[in-house]
Amino acid sequence: MTNPVLIVMVEDDEGHARLIERNIRRAGVNNEIVPFTNGTDALKFLFGPDGSGIDHKNRALLVLLDLNLPDTTGVEILRRIKENVHLKRSPVVVLTTTDDAVEIQRCYDLGCNVYITKPVNYDNFANAIRQLGLFFQVIQVPAAT
Amino acid sequence: MTRSLRESLAHRSQPILLGLGFALLVAISSGTLWLVQQTSDDAQSVIQAQENQRGLTAVLLALRRAESYQRGFLLVGQPEYEQGYRLTLSGLAPVLENLKTLQADGHLRESDVAEIMHLIDDKLAEMEKTFQLYSAGQTEAARGLVAGGAGRDVMENLRTLIGRLSGEQRSLLNARTGDTQQSIRWLAIATVLGTIIIMLLAAASVWLLRRSNLERDEALDTLEATNANLETTIQTRTADLREANEEIQRFAYIVSHDLRSPLVNIMGFTSELEAVRDAIFSKLATTPGDEAAAQENQELGRDFDEAIGFIRSATVKMDRLINAVLRLSREGRREFRPERLNLNEIVGTIVGSVSHQASEADAKITVGDLPSLTSDRLSLEQILSNLIDNALKYLQSGRQGEIEISGSVRGIYAVIQVSDNGRGIHPDDHQRVFDLFRRAGAQDRPGEGIGLAHVRALVRRLGGTLSLNSAPDEGSTFTITLPREWNAERERSAA
Repeated sequence: MTNPVLIVMVEDDEGHARLIERNIRRAGVNNEIVPFTNGTDALKFLFGPDGSGIDHKNRALLVLLDLNLPDTTGVEILRRIKENVHLKRSPVVVLTTTDDAVEIQRCYDLGCNVYITKPVNYDNFANAIRQLGLFFQVIQVPAAT
Repeated sequence: MTRSLRESLAHRSQPILLGLGFALLVAISSGTLWLVQQTSDDAQSVIQAQENQRGLTAVLLALRRAESYQRGFLLVGQPEYEQGYRLTLSGLAPVLENLKTLQADGHLRESDVAEIMHLIDDKLAEMEKTFQLYSAGQTEAARGLVAGGAGRDVMENLRTLIGRLSGEQRSLLNARTGDTQQSIRWLAIATVLGTIIIMLLAAASVWLLRRSNLERDEALDTLEATNANLETTIQTRTADLREANEEIQRFAYIVSHDLRSPLVNIMGFTSELEAVRDAIFSKLATTPGDEAAAQENQELGRDFDEAIGFIRSATVKMDRLINAVLRLSREGRREFRPERLNLNEIVGTIVGSVSHQASEADAKITVGDLPSLTSDRLSLEQILSNLIDNALKYLQSGRQGEIEISGSVRGIYAVIQVSDNGRGIHPDDHQRVFDLFRRAGAQDRPGEGIGLAHVRALVRRLGGTLSLNSAPDEGSTFTITLPREWNAERERSAA
């Protein structure tokens, strides 16, 4: 990614978060990654204390989102990001265990950009994350306005 | 009074009422018949009485006529009067004959007839004597005889006698007529009364019938209400069961889902550990020439690899099991879509897809004539392909495999049999093979022990049964019995 894109990772399982980070790094992505293990903290960071999201104006964000969170659902976070004027152009990658067709459809309806099911098998999992990292290297992320 | 007792009373009194009505009708009818007979008898008696009267009067009439001819002759002496007299006498004979007949038939008393005859003889003798005197020229003597009044007295006696007899007949006639009228009155009264009673009985009968009908309707309503209640109860229970079943499915899904996350971590970090293994051990073996240390390092490395190996195989197995549970729970939640299925077509497709394995295993698959049914296509495909796969998988080595798929129709059920001449299943394991994660016989084939559990769950959901008939070394026959017309209601009640 050309711009200093900030990767916001919302993942309640710290082990998963670590594995994801390692494998993204292995793909050669050196961008800053801000991890969150619950929805409340993630929302606070994304939308700021006033909930407007103005803090991230002129900053490129990429959100890596798990759907199963202890306090809220990833779907709710997705909805709020895509409804916010400042954040709605930031790419959101849903990375979750669910492969339910209804859930996938709902996420895309809400404006998610990529939906990836975490492979159960670790080798496949590592491989998928590495490919995602390679994907991150080539995509263009617009700055939030 | 309880309802049943009242009802039984109403039911019991029905035939009694009917019997009573019928008996009354019979009584009225026989009374009428009796009266008709009686009336006809009376009419006969009346006619007879009139006949008697006529017979008696005819005697008097004939004698009077004879007497008037006699008087006429004595007055003028013309022979025409004698002729008339003789003619009248000859007419008297049948009248007397009739009288005798009447007496012989018992309609007139013998003494009366005898007296009449006696008087007639007297009268005839008197008249005959006058004619004889006149013919002998003793005109005055003849007239004197008449004037003597003997003949008149005889006639007077005769008239009195016949008048009395006629009166008797008349009063007899009146009595008969009175009797008839009396009985007609009684019968009329009886008929009217009987009719009223029959109508009352009919009314009572109708009332009882209506009441019992009303009670029956009420009972039917109650029954219907009870049935409706029962249906509601069943529906509630079924809904509860379904909910419980769905909860189990959801639970299985969530559990398997949640187990996956830590498993990914275990597997991931095991891989990470393996990745750093060489780095760690190369760091440990920094002092060259230290043979003991190198030896120790090698041993540590072996222990490390062994531990990693166990972790790896355990996680792989756990991963397989979790996936299996996940797949089963997903299958359990799938909505069935019943459609008309041609089983021969489905089995044909499956046999086609396993033909490579079959030829490799040197097995022959024969498919008989299979019934068509309305059911869920995917379920039947899974059931049959699992069974056919199993048959191919567990063939007895050393003999040519023979797999046969046959079907028949038994009432509302379709029966499908998948039989093989494979290695068979020991009787002790006939139940076990259907349990989740359980397998039987030599564990020399890959598998999780899911196939048959899945097949049985599907067959049950489709409202059918699955049974096994097998002997070791001889082969196995799986028999599936499925309703030919599956519907969602059935599944609900089975759920």
